Amino acid sequence: MPTLHIGPMIQTTQVIDRREPGPGIVILGLHAPALASAARPGQFVMAIPPAGVQAAVALGVYEARDERVSVMLVEAGPRTRALASLAPGATLELLAPLGNGFFLDDLPEHVGIVAGGVGLASVLLAAEEIVRRGKRATLYYGARTATSLVDRELFAAAGCAIECATDDGTFGHHGYVTDLLRAGEAPTLLLACGPTPMLRSVARVANERGLRAQLSLEETFACGVGACWGCVIPLDRASAQAPNFPEAGADESRSYVHARICKEGPVFWAHELHW
Amino acid sequence: MTAVIAREPNLRTRLGGLDLAYPTLMGSGCYGSGDEYAPFIDLAGIGAVVLKSVTRAPRLGNPTPRLVQTPGGLLNAIGLQNPGIDHYLVHDVPKFAARPCGVIGSVAGFSLDDYAYTTEKLGACDEIDAIELNISCPNVGSEGETFSCDPRLTHKVVAAARKATAKTLIVKLSPNVTDIAAIAREAEAAGADALAVINTVRGMAIDVNAWKPRLGNVTGGLSGPAIRPIAVLAVYEVARAVSIPIVGQGGIETVTDALEFILAGATAVSIGTGNFTDPRAPIRIAAGIRDYLTERGLASLADIIGKANVGFKSAVRGDEG
Repeated sequence: MPTLHIGPMIQTTQVIDRREPGPGIVILGLHAPALASAARPGQFVMAIPPAGVQAAVALGVYEARDERVSVMLVEAGPRTRALASLAPGATLELLAPLGNGFFLDDLPEHVGIVAGGVGLASVLLAAEEIVRRGKRATLYYGARTATSLVDRELFAAAGCAIECATDDGTFGHHGYVTDLLRAGEAPTLLLACGPTPMLRSVARVANERGLRAQLSLEETFACGVGACWGCVIPLDRASAQAPNFPEAGADESRSYVHARICKEGPVFWAHELHW
Repeated sequence: MTAVIAREPNLRTRLGGLDLAYPTLMGSGCYGSGDEYAPFIDLAGIGAVVLKSVTRAPRLGNPTPRLVQTPGGLLNAIGLQNPGIDHYLVHDVPKFAARPCGVIGSVAGFSLDDYAYTTEKLGACDEIDAIELNISCPNVGSEGETFSCDPRLTHKVVAAARKATAKTLIVKLSPNVTDIAAIAREAEAAGADALAVINTVRGMAIDVNAWKPRLGNVTGGLSGPAIRPIAVLAVYEVARAVSIPIVGQGGIETVTDALEFILAGATAVSIGTGNFTDPRAPIRIAAGIRDYLTERGLASLADIIGKANVGFKSAVRGDEG
């Protein structure tokens, strides 16, 4: 089926399935035909919460197949709890698809995918695409504890090798997921999504070992569409993703600009970030 | 119910010389300065967009983090990141050439000369219908909010902008003052056509694990439902002090919220943080105001503006208690 190219829009979807693969983790399957064919790996949506709950929630597009898309929620506050409590049949409106997604045009033979916690939700489509293109994919997956490592079978089914780490040692390597990248032969390209400390660690390892790394950044979004400039990150002025912004202020030695994570990102090359 | 009205209630309203089809605006800083929201909302259904503030020189803005969610609110310290007026005129303003709603440019600055310069340049654009003078940004050091915290400085800066443009001039006031009515009177006396009430309320949040402020700028401006009662009171007080129209704003998410502001004395309302829950909020609110007027057999928005000031209880059946 040819890919339907659509720009971002408000999409009215319906919850068609709901499961809880781990403690406090909810996956909502949505009937969203246009989004299912348009979403690129690493893009996200802003989910409009039920009436009376303030502020839309940014969620990675997890699965996308046929007419179904899914999103992964970790119940952390009133907004995520309200969304996680939606039952099949409920309507959910999304601003989608948003953001740039991973850069997958030029893939090496072996690509490493690094996911921490709910960051897993932003990398499944990338894993599928890498395998579809005949390349090897390894998922490096970290979480606090064994029961929070969810859906490994989905990645296995997609053709990924999987290496895990837990903070408490209850499954896989006892320690950080990035420890797994320091030993042995590492993939030459890393795609990472997870908590900021993990992403910083991925960037450090990539720098030390001479690997390229794309990071899908996590930040508090207000609008999610590039309007409010609340989610910026210092980005190398020479980056292809740098917004067209004139020199600001008197400090001409400054080599970075503030790019919006939601608009110019959320995926950036690790070596172009000034953080 | 009274006699059946032949046509729908009239929602048209005016801010100085600016005629608005609907009394709902998208607030400054929340709509951006280009077409970021264009895919999501039909601008023909709102009164006007207020663009993100522009300054004379480019600004990098504040360090991150710039946003913190708080109970019922959003604390922000963006720091007026913008490309500066020269770049803005070339790259951003042309995007508004054929907008089906009003387009209000927002000007911020750090001196009288800044405000006059930027107002003159932006006011000269055909794409811009009116100028909002942001003299109340709390996130750019003390100088940013100084103008709206001192009645004499308010008078001076509004007078300078007034000389710089003949277009409708809306002055955005700060709630972080002792007597907002006194400031409002000075803005009116200096030539403001309308007032935007209120900008954000200064606030701070601290990370108790890291022992440091949660905003890169240390302090920020609070918006969202948490500040709504503060804003309603400010509109009420300003409405009794001036005779120019007021754009009420501060935590409006629903039609009920908007009606509070209108009954307090606002001629129009502006939705800011509420767009971050659903960008169609201004359209939904305009429809809700129309329904509210229809249900009460009222012919126009003007029938309810400021009606909470006097005699409201006796005007509404069943509300005498």
